[in-house]
Amino acid sequence: MLFAGPPGVGKTATAHAFARDLFGDSYIEDGHFMEINASDERGIQTIREKVKMFARQIPMGGYGFKILFLDESDQLTDDAQHAFRRVMEQFSTTCRFILAANYSNRIIEPIQSRCAVFRFKPLTKNHVIEFLKRIADNESLEIEDQALEVIYDFSEGDMRKAINILQASASIAKKIDEKVVYQVMGYVSRGEVRKILELALSGKFTDARDEVRRILYVQGVMPSDLVSAIYRELFYLDLSEEDKLDLLDLLGEVDYRLSEEATPEVQLMAFLARLAAKAKKK
Amino acid sequence: MPEIWVEKYRPKRVAEVLGNKQSVQAFLEWIRKWELGKPPEKKAALLYGPAGVGKTSLVLAYANEHGYDVVEVNASDWRNEARMKSIVGESSLQATLDGSTKKIILIDEVDGVAGREDAGGIAALKKIIDETRIPLVLVANNPWDPKLAPIRDRCLMLEFRRLRKSEVLARLKYIAKAEGIQVSDAVLEKLAERSEGDLRSAINDFQAITGGRKVVDESVIAALGTRNRVKQIFEALRMIFNAKSIRAARAALEGLEVDLDSVYTWLVDNAPLQIPDPNDLADALEALARADVYLSRVNKKQEWKLIRYAVPIMTGGVAVSRRHKPSGFVKFAFPSKIRFMQKTSKEREMRKSIASKIAAKLHLSTSKAMTQMLPYISFIMTHNEESGRALAKYFEFTPSEVAYLSGKEKIEVKAAKTPSRRRRKTRA
Repeated sequence: MLFAGPPGVGKTATAHAFARDLFGDSYIEDGHFMEINASDERGIQTIREKVKMFARQIPMGGYGFKILFLDESDQLTDDAQHAFRRVMEQFSTTCRFILAANYSNRIIEPIQSRCAVFRFKPLTKNHVIEFLKRIADNESLEIEDQALEVIYDFSEGDMRKAINILQASASIAKKIDEKVVYQVMGYVSRGEVRKILELALSGKFTDARDEVRRILYVQGVMPSDLVSAIYRELFYLDLSEEDKLDLLDLLGEVDYRLSEEATPEVQLMAFLARLAAKAKKK
Repeated sequence: MPEIWVEKYRPKRVAEVLGNKQSVQAFLEWIRKWELGKPPEKKAALLYGPAGVGKTSLVLAYANEHGYDVVEVNASDWRNEARMKSIVGESSLQATLDGSTKKIILIDEVDGVAGREDAGGIAALKKIIDETRIPLVLVANNPWDPKLAPIRDRCLMLEFRRLRKSEVLARLKYIAKAEGIQVSDAVLEKLAERSEGDLRSAINDFQAITGGRKVVDESVIAALGTRNRVKQIFEALRMIFNAKSIRAARAALEGLEVDLDSVYTWLVDNAPLQIPDPNDLADALEALARADVYLSRVNKKQEWKLIRYAVPIMTGGVAVSRRHKPSGFVKFAFPSKIRFMQKTSKEREMRKSIASKIAAKLHLSTSKAMTQMLPYISFIMTHNEESGRALAKYFEFTPSEVAYLSGKEKIEVKAAKTPSRRRRKTRA
């Protein structure tokens, strides 16, 4: 099976819940289920050793198969994916595979065609708010409706994020209102992307560069996520519409180059330098 | 055939090893435990620092003085796992009982191993560290290479810094005397200065300029040429930024003994300093970004022939785009990227360790743990001590990790060896 969908909508949770239902509470300890996070182990080595080792062992306890759960499988390198595809065939009698991915288009065709693909959608506002209320009840928190709305807006349907915001809010106030939520988000996101763009616009290119380095190398933000954040801000910059169009085109080019494994820092620098040049012209 | 001085004058005893007294002392304490038959908690020692400052010499001197055989492996032997097992694996499991042939395993250039794509070598090394029954010494220039992360916490980290000019000078004088060479202090001082704390290069240079003669005057110093890497790259940069044609810019790389990736980094980081006009800079960086695309194709698909596009685009691109020059002379600068990575290495390490603890508990990748969980956990730990303590316990954060997350300590600055020493004391 391939679970595809955005973060925080329950892909991993579903896989675990499914295995628990099937094999009982000690599904992991008993060796029925193994989880591998492809983002941490991207290489072909993982497939050759870890996955194969697990998959080839005969299922125990009277079950017909075991389950290998490969989380963030879209992070696997192409080579590893091809190796994985072989493993899926070879050991299909003893092992079932569940893959989770944010972007199913980064999974090679042959794997997709061997999977039943389940699309997970962002959770609806009702779902998120209802669940947050349930947590608040359990933890005896008081939370205003307006605050719930704001949390949902920030979460964009990502339940993990929503719960994190709630828990962080609860750490500073027993009664949670809108202001508390904004305080949390001010701390967490700090408007860094906006800051980078403004630094570039005001001609402080090297400062903008240092900030990009901090985000990429210290905070560990994925380059593609940084590009997406820039994309969202781009429309609101103080530039002519023609310039924005040029920059959008360039950002798209950067995005594409990153998917070709170009160096994120350098590509973003080129974009920011162009942005700075446009600002100057204006 | 004259002897090579760097070998001839390699310290025979630990007392002859120059500088870095603290790390030398810590090394002796560490190996002493092996001597006493009580292997230290960290079974490997990682000696790190720039070239030519005495890392390998310390190990060889100790071995010589105390009657050890050194089983030496260097990076090129590594990749081949079978070979590695046969050399290292076997000796590491043979603890000598009669004390007749005591052994130390010395693995040079471990960061060279990590530079390769395959992490198999490091994984095997990790296993050897866990299983070894004899002292295992690793040597590296850059211990913060991410690929070394799995073994770093298994190693006693010993930093070796550049030697002081006075220390290099003293050694050169000693050699001059021992070889009976007449040479002025000015020449030796110049050699010591050029070496930038790299004793090996100073001795090599010294041997080169004497050329077998017993009298050396000051004129020879000029003959030394520009072997110094940094000076070479400065010269190449000057040619590139001032080139009038793509061909001239490309020619700057001829004969340069610096790898292309480094040149690239120097170019990228110097462009904003050397190109004052925003439009020029945007063009230059776009050229560099295009070159980067070619270089990544080269790396990814082994399309070596594409290098011939990358090189003129990156060098020529910078030259052609630089239509306006700074009003005064602007110095070329050491790449800020490298400095940035050094400056943040401890913080990055810490965040990674924190993220991997979060990841282990929450079914997440370390990358997601770092970006999607860590900020919230940090918020809670900063604002609510009670919840913070509970989280720290749940995730098993160390005190310094707690301090970092709760904003009490921005970056851990303690030397890596301090904690292990403290632990030792509490145990005794």
